[in-house]
Amino acid sequence: MHFQFARRWLVVLVAAAVALVAISAYLSLPRAYVLLATTTSTRDTGLLPYLLPQFTAKTGIDVRYVAVGTGQALDLGRSGDVDVVMVHAPLLEEAFVAVGDGLCRNLIMYNRFVVVGPVADPAGVRSAANATDAFLRIHSTSARFESRADNSGTYNKEQEIWAATGLNPSTFGSWYEKTNQGMGQTLTIANERNAYTLSDDGTWYAREGSLPYLGLLYAQDEPVLQNQYSVIPVNPAAHPEVRSAQAVAFARWLVGDGQALIAAFTVNGHAIFTPNGAGAC
Amino acid sequence: MLTVAGDIVGITLLSLLVCATSTLIATLIAVPVGVALGLREVGSQRLLRNILFTLYGLPPVLAGLLVFLLLSRSGPLGGLSLLYTPLGMVIAQVVVVTPIILGITMSVVATVERRVKETAFVLGADRWQLSVTVVRRGLAGIVTAVMVGFGRAISEVGAVFIVGGHIEGQTQVLTTTIITDISQADYGHAVSLGVILLVIAAIVYSFLYRLQERTMP
Amino acid sequence: MTMFLELEGLRKDFDGRRVLQGVDLRVEPGEVFALVGPSGVGKTTLLRCVDFLLRPDGGRVRFDGREAPRAPSERLALRRRIGMVPQNPLLFRGSLFYNVSFGLCVRGVEGSELEDRTLAALTAVGLRDLAQAKASGLSAGEAQRVAFARAMVVNPELLLLDECTANLDPANVALLEAAIVGYHRQTGATVLVVTHNLFQAKRVAHRAGFLFGGHIVETADVEAFFTNPTDARTRAFVRGEMPY
Repeated sequence: MHFQFARRWLVVLVAAAVALVAISAYLSLPRAYVLLATTTSTRDTGLLPYLLPQFTAKTGIDVRYVAVGTGQALDLGRSGDVDVVMVHAPLLEEAFVAVGDGLCRNLIMYNRFVVVGPVADPAGVRSAANATDAFLRIHSTSARFESRADNSGTYNKEQEIWAATGLNPSTFGSWYEKTNQGMGQTLTIANERNAYTLSDDGTWYAREGSLPYLGLLYAQDEPVLQNQYSVIPVNPAAHPEVRSAQAVAFARWLVGDGQALIAAFTVNGHAIFTPNGAGAC
Repeated sequence: MLTVAGDIVGITLLSLLVCATSTLIATLIAVPVGVALGLREVGSQRLLRNILFTLYGLPPVLAGLLVFLLLSRSGPLGGLSLLYTPLGMVIAQVVVVTPIILGITMSVVATVERRVKETAFVLGADRWQLSVTVVRRGLAGIVTAVMVGFGRAISEVGAVFIVGGHIEGQTQVLTTTIITDISQADYGHAVSLGVILLVIAAIVYSFLYRLQERTMP
Repeated sequence: MTMFLELEGLRKDFDGRRVLQGVDLRVEPGEVFALVGPSGVGKTTLLRCVDFLLRPDGGRVRFDGREAPRAPSERLALRRRIGMVPQNPLLFRGSLFYNVSFGLCVRGVEGSELEDRTLAALTAVGLRDLAQAKASGLSAGEAQRVAFARAMVVNPELLLLDECTANLDPANVALLEAAIVGYHRQTGATVLVVTHNLFQAKRVAHRAGFLFGGHIVETADVEAFFTNPTDARTRAFVRGEMPY
């Protein structure tokens, strides 16, 4: 009597656990979709929810994505946890393919990096001659600057510009802050702290409405400010289980029919992406 | 609008599934082990208790990282393809929640009056019957342990983000969606999801609280 | 069924204090043996050593001529042939029926046999009417009676009673003593009664022993023990002259 009760409860709990695990396992069956690893910037522009359903409608292939930092996106491709990678860090991408982790690389589109900052613009970035000059002005006035410091494409671009100024960021004072976060969060922080930051224009236009203390200060078409996006299917030689054929189909579509769709994509009225599809996939 | 509502329903249901599953599994592991450890003589417990209290402080993000490394294709359990799946998230949460329930159960059992154990012992109870008697006595405390464990699971965001990946239609839960909403400045949506979280917590806690009252001395 | 209990050189220390210092005792199968002695001398300790609640620091305990077996299942079986009623018993949360039937449940008894035996035990201690009452609402005397019923319902071959009427009024003392005697008569079990009530010892026991200074100083038939003890210390105790 006393212990039967306990035994019955135990059976009920174990049965419930088995049932729940079974449901979870059913929902965890090997995926039928192509998994894309991309960056938080790509997610925050809203491009993917616009683009992916069109691809599915055309080909019947379901593509979903996990948005992480550039570094992790490439690492996921390296380990075969995803089928295809879409990032915006050309140097890292070339290495990725050269080493054999990537099967091939297609350039898709580019948007711009822009310098945003306090509306009052204490450093005078608005009248900068070029990107390098803009950064020099920020440094010379010790204006607060938020760096993403997360090995992302944007961060790598920021370091590239600092290198062009001849300055070494590790010598910067406390005005140079590291957020270690994605673009959306970094913009929020810049807004709260009246700071400058380097952003991609897609995220900026998507978030502009919620960043009242920031303004778009420098937005010119310089080569160094080009933010080139590429798509790289993972190499099946190292990971036979990746959905290679579908990933390649996706890569091809992006430089094919996808190009017109990319050109038509707007964020709050701004067409931020310039399609420049090319590549060997 | 309907799809948004449908999304919220799906996200909520997945949150409930992952948290309920992980809390239940953690309970089934932690309570028997906690009872067994709590019944042992005090001396040998010290080392275990030190290890356990360290695990209390195990940050969920660290648990998430460890499970991620475990389940990634480049990791030892990569062949199971559990990364970025709900089952993977369950595993991560089990790692987070089990030490909590285990530690509280151990304390509860150790605190049960010695005479209860002695009386059952003298009346001829074997290990299992003694454990049941002790659990029955300390049931209120054990229910508390489960409540605390569930609270940890439902509010957890780091581990489920790292191991789940917040993939649409697959691993999006309430807490991870709040994070991405904030990142996209969709604060209204984030707050409404937060309200849902609170409502879930309130419902589950009121149920468990009533259970606790019924098992109090 | 009955059990033969022997203690040989039993020693037990507590916090450095030597409580039992070599106790030798034979309790014959089927007899009621009264163990008397001053408060704090170690009577409860002795019982707890017999019923596996304490591990002796030396000496042996033999049941039916053999020491306790090593295998856990056999040890459990032996333990289930022994019953104990402690001095301030703890009752489980629940009804009286729940408490008294606990030992039967543990041994796998169920259904109508469980019910019949439980109610019979409650009747034997005069608590049949309170079978469904909550154990938490009982007086000390009632609780003690429940503890006795709980121990005897499983028909132990060796019954250990630790001052089980110490806090009871005379009516309850008489009731419980009648239950003890009745149980012994019915089953022929060996009963070891620890008491400081000399009259009780005389009433229920066949033989008596005096525990003092960590040893059994004297054992004798109960008549001889109380009217004409051999040892001076026993004599002092029995006459109430021993200050403690």
